[in-house]
Amino acid sequence: MPKQIDFHSIILKLRQFHHKQRRLPSFSEMQHFLGYKSKGGVSVLIAHLVKMGLLEKDKAGKFVPGPDFAGGLRLLGSVQAGFPSPAEEELLDTLTLDEFLIKKPNATYIVKVSGDSMIDEGIKEGDLVLVERGRQAQPGDIVIAQVDGQWTMKFFEKKDGKIVLRAANKKYPLIVPQKELVIGGVVVANVRKYK
Amino acid sequence: MSANTNSPINLSSFPQPIVHIDCDAFFTSVEQALHPELKGKPVVTGKERGIVACASYEAKALGVKRPMRLWEAKKQLPQLICLPSDYETYSLYSKRMFSIIREFTPDVEEYSIDEAFANLSGLRRVYRTGYLEIAWKIKQRIQEELGLTVSVGLSASKILAKIASKYKKPDGFTVLRANELHQFLPGISLDQVCGFGPNTVALLMKKGVRNVWDYVSRSELWAKQLLGKIGIELWHELRGEAVYPIVTQEKTDYDSISKTKTFTPPSCDKDFVRAQLIRNTESAFIKLRRYKLRAKWVCIFLRGQDFRSWGTEAELDRSTCSTLEIAPIVNQLFEKIFRENVLCRLTGIVLSKIEPDKTVQYSLFDDVPKLQSYSAISRVIDEVSELYGKHKLHLGTSLWLTQHKQHVSERGDLPERKTDLIKGETFRQRLGIPIWSVTV
Repeated sequence: MPKQIDFHSIILKLRQFHHKQRRLPSFSEMQHFLGYKSKGGVSVLIAHLVKMGLLEKDKAGKFVPGPDFAGGLRLLGSVQAGFPSPAEEELLDTLTLDEFLIKKPNATYIVKVSGDSMIDEGIKEGDLVLVERGRQAQPGDIVIAQVDGQWTMKFFEKKDGKIVLRAANKKYPLIVPQKELVIGGVVVANVRKYK
Repeated sequence: MSANTNSPINLSSFPQPIVHIDCDAFFTSVEQALHPELKGKPVVTGKERGIVACASYEAKALGVKRPMRLWEAKKQLPQLICLPSDYETYSLYSKRMFSIIREFTPDVEEYSIDEAFANLSGLRRVYRTGYLEIAWKIKQRIQEELGLTVSVGLSASKILAKIASKYKKPDGFTVLRANELHQFLPGISLDQVCGFGPNTVALLMKKGVRNVWDYVSRSELWAKQLLGKIGIELWHELRGEAVYPIVTQEKTDYDSISKTKTFTPPSCDKDFVRAQLIRNTESAFIKLRRYKLRAKWVCIFLRGQDFRSWGTEAELDRSTCSTLEIAPIVNQLFEKIFRENVLCRLTGIVLSKIEPDKTVQYSLFDDVPKLQSYSAISRVIDEVSELYGKHKLHLGTSLWLTQHKQHVSERGDLPERKTDLIKGETFRQRLGIPIWSVTV
């Protein structure tokens, strides 16, 4: 007779492990704490869990929690609570505005916007844009750049294999750097303070 | 006793991999990074002090040197750009530099505002590469993210790392392996060693020591007999045997604390000069209390128009950190040294014999309740400063300060950062992100 698998207790144990360690257990770890005799048994179990949507394979072929892993109830702390209070949930993780806007605090600078060349992108005169230095500009990014000696803020784009800078304002023509182009930094956020 | 320059002292290249990172012309480089229009131009900072505090490499190339009066420099180089120092922004940059280095290793010493020592031992496994590449990576990261150049020296001790970083400047990267010292040190003169002052160099020259290699090839005993403890320490450091540790805690103990301030035009108004001195006293005591210290010895001095100083000192029978307790003493000392009708341009105070502010042993004749209320007042002063800015609550004497501005001439110019506030900022509180001044 095939062995009856107690999925309920297994998924509880996996969730607890994942919450504490921030990762899934390895095959041999599962073998130990779920009481399997071989890793083969574990792989059969995992196949079941994948079918149930509790685990899935990522691009690299590693198992990661699937869409149903978290379950209907949220995990608060290391035990499964009944109904989590909204306040408790809020405490779990919050970002300050600084953390939200700035990824690399050591490389971020403020630039005060003075022109209207990015107006169609919603960047107005007087706005403060946060600029990250030392970051590779990708097509579509807004960059602060020095073109032939002049500083400017534009969209960084590629046209026929050449770098061009486009304003978000029809009044301004496309800029094709003639002599030199220095990318000073990439705009990562825009801040406007009304009051 | 001549040196054998063929055999290495050490067998390994980095017994302790110590790196020294030194910003090139720090203050002006920060200004040039934030104000791109200043790039490539001769710039100096220190306008508010009337001297060249820092000169950019462009200015140095045109003959501007560091201890130089500003008007002399300007006369020599009319196109020189003089900026008032913006210490707030410089310290932001300094913090960023240290935190970038700390991303690599926690073993970082903040040696000065623009210099750091770091120990890289054990990092090879993390980065899967050699010490040289790690040091290079640190340099690249700082330069990319701060937009200024640093000079880096990698060696086996702090003293050697500092020699290495100074070896090529600006934008230098010098690696000095401990097993190659015998090839490198003969070319290094004694005055390049941090720790050998002009007098020590003169003494060593007399003894026939012409360069650093000569010094380390003598015996340890010889170094001890000639220069004592410091002689031995340097002898080991220069041989690539690290003696000085990387001090990672912030510096909180001081041998002395001093506050001086110049004012222009010079004044012979007794009340005004006294107010200047009392203000310096207040500042010094705020610093004293910030580091939880007390001082037992105080010295005050004035400086005349001819740049000559005179002053006096007093030793207290008990150390103190209370402004109200010291003010009458400073006042008495001031009465002794103030000269009628002699113009003063600067006042200063030096506190010494400093000890930690722990328990106080009152003497039999001390008015204890009064002293305790003094320390309560000090606490209030510090709390008010915390909330509303330094010197918001001050002694009545310093009211005379409002008689005229600290500097009536253009020396009173403020750095752009202080005049161009962002909405929501106050004169005292500003965003902790440097403002890049480009017009876009």
